[in-house]
Amino acid sequence: MDTVTDTKPVAEMVNIRKSFAAVQALKGVDLVLHHGEVLGLVGDNAAGKSSLMKVLSGAYIPDDGEIRIEGNKVHMSDPLDARHLGIEMVYQDLALADNLDITSNVFLGRELVKTHLGPISALDSRHMEREAKRLLDRLKIDIPSVRLLVERLSGGQRQAVAIARATAFNSKVIIMDEPTAALSVASIKLVLDVIRELKVQGASIILISHRIEDIYSVSDRLIVMRQGRKVHDVPVTGTLDEFREEVVAYMIGARDDFSNLEKN
Amino acid sequence: MSLKDEMKPQRNILHDYGMYIAFVVIVVFFSIATKGLFISSRNIGNLVNAMSYIAVMAVGMTLVIVIRHIDLSVGFLAGTLGAVAAISLKYWQLPVGLTIPIVLALGIIAGLVTAFLVARMNIPAFVATLAGWLFYHGLLQLVTRKTGTIIINDPIFNAFGNGFIPDIKGIMFLPDVHKVTLLLGLLGILLFIRSEIINRRDTKAYNFGVIPMNMFIAKLVFFSIIIAGITWVLAGYKGLSWSAVVVLLVVFLYYYITTKTVIGRHIFAVGGNPEAAQLNGISVKKITYLVFGSMGFLTAISGILYASWLRSATTIAGTGMELDAIAAAFVGGVAVSGGVGKVTGSILGALVMASLTNGMNLLGWDISIQYIVRALVLAGAVIFDVATRKRRT
Ligand SMILES: Nc1ncnc2c1ncn2[C@@H]1O[C@H](COP(=O)(O)OP(=O)(O)OP(=O)(O)O)[C@@H](O)[C@H]1O
Ligand SMILES: [Mg+2]
Repeated sequence: MDTVTDTKPVAEMVNIRKSFAAVQALKGVDLVLHHGEVLGLVGDNAAGKSSLMKVLSGAYIPDDGEIRIEGNKVHMSDPLDARHLGIEMVYQDLALADNLDITSNVFLGRELVKTHLGPISALDSRHMEREAKRLLDRLKIDIPSVRLLVERLSGGQRQAVAIARATAFNSKVIIMDEPTAALSVASIKLVLDVIRELKVQGASIILISHRIEDIYSVSDRLIVMRQGRKVHDVPVTGTLDEFREEVVAYMIGARDDFSNLEKN
Repeated sequence: MSLKDEMKPQRNILHDYGMYIAFVVIVVFFSIATKGLFISSRNIGNLVNAMSYIAVMAVGMTLVIVIRHIDLSVGFLAGTLGAVAAISLKYWQLPVGLTIPIVLALGIIAGLVTAFLVARMNIPAFVATLAGWLFYHGLLQLVTRKTGTIIINDPIFNAFGNGFIPDIKGIMFLPDVHKVTLLLGLLGILLFIRSEIINRRDTKAYNFGVIPMNMFIAKLVFFSIIIAGITWVLAGYKGLSWSAVVVLLVVFLYYYITTKTVIGRHIFAVGGNPEAAQLNGISVKKITYLVFGSMGFLTAISGILYASWLRSATTIAGTGMELDAIAAAFVGGVAVSGGVGKVTGSILGALVMASLTNGMNLLGWDISIQYIVRALVLAGAVIFDVATRKRRT
């Protein structure tokens, strides 16, 4: 993308708060994502990672705080709003329809249409198949046919299809919530390869993962969350071991960079 | 690392065509066992009329099951709507041209009410439509209480369930055969072959794999023979009946909608993964209204066909029809878990079940045995379907 030099962040979240009944899931979180950047997001269970990303993708409406996309303040009331703004989320619990083929899943809700007959629109199936194939090719995803039913794919292939779908419509921000969870080693490699390929092509990505080595290998920058707050925000540097040690210290609460800024 | 894109067989041939083969076996068995009576033109003509209302209902039920619901209310709803048609014709003196639109509209409204209970009030479809079953059972008795069975005398209305399409008069060639039916059958075969060839050519043009040529030809021949056989048999009696025409129209319409349109794709997406569909901007509520609305519409057609076939509306019309439609859908390969089902499969399912009943009746089998045989076929079909639908994991 030609916007890498743009200094305005592609996405910005300021002082985001969100509570569920008694649980304060997000206690005033700031996040900045630059163009062409892969941002890792880690934290213990229930730290609020998914909640924060669901806010950014329109699935949750924050109680307080501001979201800016390319500098413009936005309001999102559902995932479709976010999608129209170019924010795509690959869900932890995959949002694919197993009974449909790869093409149908890639174009789910955004089908290409040949002709309209009143309320009835005829699908342009061949066109969609060709586009889906091109998309998988572009991300170097090796799946024999776009006509395969998703239920027949391996975990890694499914995740790759989910990611491919998120990138299909010129999205500005791609959010991946634990794309490598519960995958085999081969599948993890497949997914990381897809992320690297996306990065080469200049996509802006937020990656949630419990696997610190995955974050280390593909991310430019890292945010650590703990108990609904951001506790660490740094570029990825050093060796994997140093990196891991540092991250864990923040995850378990031994260190905290922002504790003086934010109480409760 | 490019896509190879050879056509991987997703389900084996046995799965896709198993029920067609079973159907042929059933036909051959009863034809031999009844010494040809089963396959006689007259019997097949009756069989088609007797299965048409179930077939139409099964198409609607297929979509309902695809989106993971069920509709138990449609049997008595069909009966009630048939009674409304009879009352409209006989007591309100409305013409057929007005009666039928009224009944269709009432059917759609009834379907939308069901959808309201399911989609808006979040009542499980099983419960909501069980209530509907009771409600329409009561309503049917209420509207027919004063009159009892209502005899319908309207010849146009009765033609739907009993009449046949007209033939060209005065041709000496094949005197006892219905020429228009033959022509339509021929046309059907040509259209079928044409669409298959175009489909294959387009698929190739986009570099997608196709089944081997010999398999393709075998498929064309198999289906052409089936169409030709049915056509020939029907043409030997009075030709294509109006009820068969209605079934064909419904099948074409729903086949097109389910396989070629955005709405159809969305229905299956909702069936496969409602959360995913919703996240992708497909309104599950809207699809639910649409599918139950269509169920109501088809139920109205079914009720009209049934009342017309019997030339009357009775106090028990529609009893158990919903279960026959559900059975037809499952025999036709609809998956209990939703998301999977074909309109053509359900029609075939209806045909299989109707053939069994008809054949066993001709053989004079005891009704208790008939139920048991149908039970075995239903269970067997579902077991077969599950066993041959191989999942990877
Ligand atoms: N829809 C919801 N309703 C109620 N509580 C919620 C909801 N979503 C999240 N929470 C709560 O908010 C807190 C943060 O959850 P969240 O899913 O964001 O954590 P996470 O960092 O993604 O954890 P994990 O690593 O386990 O995925 C948890 O206490 C969780 O129970
Ligand atoms: Mg999470």
